[in-house]
Amino acid sequence: MISSSSSSSAPSSSSASASRIKLRPGPPTQARNKWRTGAQERIYGRRLVEALRSSRAGRSAAAGGARAVKEAADSALALTARGQSRWSRAILFGRFRRRKLLLKAGGKVRRRRRARPAGKFAALPHPPAALKGKKVRDRLRVLARLVPGCRKLSAPSLLEEAADYLAALEMQVKAMRTLADALSAAALSPPSPPPPAAAAPEPEN
Amino acid sequence: MSSRRSRSRQSSSSRITDEQINDLVSKLQALLPEAGIRSNERVSAARVLQDTCSYIRNLHREVDDLSERLSELLATTDASSAQAAIIRSLLM
Repeated sequence: MISSSSSSSAPSSSSASASRIKLRPGPPTQARNKWRTGAQERIYGRRLVEALRSSRAGRSAAAGGARAVKEAADSALALTARGQSRWSRAILFGRFRRRKLLLKAGGKVRRRRRARPAGKFAALPHPPAALKGKKVRDRLRVLARLVPGCRKLSAPSLLEEAADYLAALEMQVKAMRTLADALSAAALSPPSPPPPAAAAPEPEN
Repeated sequence: MSSRRSRSRQSSSSRITDEQINDLVSKLQALLPEAGIRSNERVSAARVLQDTCSYIRNLHREVDDLSERLSELLATTDASSAQAAIIRSLLM
């Protein structure tokens, strides 16, 4: 991983960056390391199970059930991020606001809660030379749409958020796949007989 | 949170150096699945951003597929084996 270059460039530009971007001591490379630890995955797994249980997603196995599972998974992911990143806060608060909207609008509300048209990169001041050019600006705009809560971020913050979000998504996929595999394995194997109750006879033939 | 956003919009005087941007872009590139194949210098920022966007889209799609799968599994599996499976997967 590219960690050596970051440590050399940090001291010289820390004064300029500290006021602006608030580059945390952990560079985005840490994003993957942070999300790759087994501990994070276990925490997420636990949260995911809690969320699934409370959302009763399995009961309605229609398309609605899948969406409920996805929302539970995303909320659990944002919780595991502990609100330390903008995208995680956007997910958590977005749920809250969306529920209110749903109550008002009666159910047919899409995810577009952005009242402000974020067509231009109005928040992006004088991008440095590396990020000039229409292509790069377009891609940045697309990226900002993909990462929740990041439409009006400046380029460096967006890049940081994207790195963290990407690593978190990888972990989410991994955890969900593990859970799904475990459930499939359980479904295929015969269900274990219930423990013998006091009155029930044991069919031990 | 909104105050922080407006504050960042006003303080446009402080400059972000190219080096920092390149640094962030290269770190993003390192997260991509093909990070080991390409050398760092040759890939343009536009390319990294494009790959990042498509990778995030792929991950979103995987999450959607897994959500489908999980919702079906949760609906059809009985409670006891589901609990056992969940506990098993959490301990791994």
